[in-house]
Amino acid sequence: MKKKNLKKVLALSLSLAAAISLAACGSTPAETNTKDDTDTTQESDNTEEETESTDKEESSGGKTEISVIAAQYGQNTADWWKTFEADFEKDNEGIDLNVEVISWNDISTTVNTRVANNQAPDILNIDVFADYQADDLLLPAKDYVSEETYNKMYEAFLEQSNVDGTIWAIPDLASARAMYYNKDILEGAGVTAPPTTWDELTEACKKIKEKYPDVYPWGIDMTTDEGQAAFAYYIWNNGGDFTDADGNWTLNSPENVAAIEYAIGLINDGYTNTDPANETRYDLQDMFGTGKVAMMIAPNSLPTYIKDGGNEVNYGMAPIPNNNGTSVSAGVMDRFMCFDNEYSDEEMEAIKTFFDYFFEDERYSAWVEMEGFLPATKTGGEALAAKDESMAEWIDIVGSCKFYPTAKTEWADVKQGVISAEQNALLGESVQEQLDNLQAEIAP
Amino acid sequence: MKKFIRKIEPYLWILPSVLLMLIFILVPIVFVFRMALSKVSRAGLIKGFTGLANFTKILSTPTFSMVLKNTLVWTVAVVGLSTLLGFILALILNNAFKGRKIARAIVVFPWATTLVVQASIWKFILDTDYGTLNTLLMKLGIIDHAVNWTPSAGAWFAWEIACGIFVTIPFVTFTVLSGLQSIDGSYYEAATVDGANYWQKLFKITVPLVSSSLTVSTVLNIIYVFNSFPIIWNMTKGDPGNRTDTLVTYLYKLAFYNGKQGEAAAVSVIGFLILLVCATAYMVATLKKGDE
Repeated sequence: MKKKNLKKVLALSLSLAAAISLAACGSTPAETNTKDDTDTTQESDNTEEETESTDKEESSGGKTEISVIAAQYGQNTADWWKTFEADFEKDNEGIDLNVEVISWNDISTTVNTRVANNQAPDILNIDVFADYQADDLLLPAKDYVSEETYNKMYEAFLEQSNVDGTIWAIPDLASARAMYYNKDILEGAGVTAPPTTWDELTEACKKIKEKYPDVYPWGIDMTTDEGQAAFAYYIWNNGGDFTDADGNWTLNSPENVAAIEYAIGLINDGYTNTDPANETRYDLQDMFGTGKVAMMIAPNSLPTYIKDGGNEVNYGMAPIPNNNGTSVSAGVMDRFMCFDNEYSDEEMEAIKTFFDYFFEDERYSAWVEMEGFLPATKTGGEALAAKDESMAEWIDIVGSCKFYPTAKTEWADVKQGVISAEQNALLGESVQEQLDNLQAEIAP
Repeated sequence: MKKFIRKIEPYLWILPSVLLMLIFILVPIVFVFRMALSKVSRAGLIKGFTGLANFTKILSTPTFSMVLKNTLVWTVAVVGLSTLLGFILALILNNAFKGRKIARAIVVFPWATTLVVQASIWKFILDTDYGTLNTLLMKLGIIDHAVNWTPSAGAWFAWEIACGIFVTIPFVTFTVLSGLQSIDGSYYEAATVDGANYWQKLFKITVPLVSSSLTVSTVLNIIYVFNSFPIIWNMTKGDPGNRTDTLVTYLYKLAFYNGKQGEAAAVSVIGFLILLVCATAYMVATLKKGDE
């Protein structure tokens, strides 16, 4: 009898353990995606897991090895890096370069795991740097980038990686946002010029809604994917900001509260897509492509996105409408950074060579163009602007846009916090109260 | 010598699975516990022991209690309703009728599809602007303009639960069906002879005899549904404002969106303990009942 009980207990615990492990298998998120725009969110639209790595050549006699982890921007990223690696090694015989291209969904986890096991890559290409800097893991940019290459970068871009007066990362590419509008719908509704102010925007929405009840006049995305972008569009164009000039958080400033209340008002008045907490920018871009959304704020990659989706729209582009006389575009940029792996002089030289090679104007512009972004170097910008007129306009915009305060370590919390505040406001809670709470949480 | 080998033989046979379990279950569990009790930097470095700081921080937020409540509603609703519906479906499929094999095959479909795909399809069906449900109803003339099927967070959550039930039913059905088929037909004959009606046969013969199958499916489902990530993540990502988050999606956001891996590990530990207690209690209770 006793034996029987023991068996039962054993069976029970074994099956329990098996069950838990089974459950663990079932709950692994397996998603990946490619980016058509650089930003600080992790999106998850696609469903296969994919970590592409270029061929690794293990220890090659006497050569200086450098390891790079690069973000996968699009379908061609991995192939581009493979060619780059081969070309680089051909031109620099003493260096063995290893580039690993990783999807946006996995890159942070991969890097964090390596860091935790003391296997940080030498060079990392990713969106944010402040967390690594806060742990003293990075080298100052001037240590690993030659002066010539460093001077190619837009000043404003370098400043985005400034912590306590030192630049810790260099930009690899950028993107900026503007308002796109459907010319046919605006014309049909009697809106003669694209709206430049908030009053004009409201008026245009009203006219469109009256004329085309099935069209959403204005697209808004307040999702976990990119809700922080909506926050930025409205506060920046109402004279507000995330921080003041000294870098103190000002999340609940009157301008910010008024700005978000205006955006929520547009939604409550029925001028926007129905579910801003769930409809991502990609959903909006699809709807814009089919003429369901009349106006939206989107990156420079929108025309390509619409074309790739097989849609055709008679669109125009204009500055983001504002409420205080100056339109501000939202810029996003990604970075290169160098982990402090106690390099020898040869290794340091090899890393500098890598950046010189990568940012060589022709090669660099080709890469930026291939990925569909905007260049982060002045020379690259000039080269692209000369080649393509529509690019020239964007290069002007990107030179003057504002960026998220990603150099601050609280950014991840602020980002999720403003998204949560927007979504709670959508559910009917007070914007003022939400932002007051967030401000108190971030800067107690 | 031979006797000795005989004695240890069973242990040798289970050794590989015990080792696998140690490596793939116990080690990660220990790691998660360690992380939950440590201060973890955003870059993932462990910066020393903090005791229960991560737990107190998590437990003090109003979001956590909302998420915990969501998790309970989600688990109870999905497991409860899918067990009931799956049981009924199994009874139906256990009858002899024409096309039974095809019917059984169809029941497997929702189970055989990846959850990510299922969730995406449900989202597509429900979509206000391009959804197939609205298109269908408009074509049939039942509605004349697109209906927003997900006007609120509660509506989203209800649809997620519906999707969860839909994909869980097949598992229950097949577990119960296998139990039903092992019941000897003579019990029913004897009961019929004694004048038992349908309900008496159902509750006095069928239910007690399939209860062990039901226990297995329920325990597995509790664990599986409690930890389920893909449906909620693909349909709403726990939005708006955490209203549709369960512990798993919440901890994923904490770890990979907010960079708070210590707190995420704490949530994970809390979930693990809840699950351990529930599953153990349920199994002990039902196995004891079986003894009586």
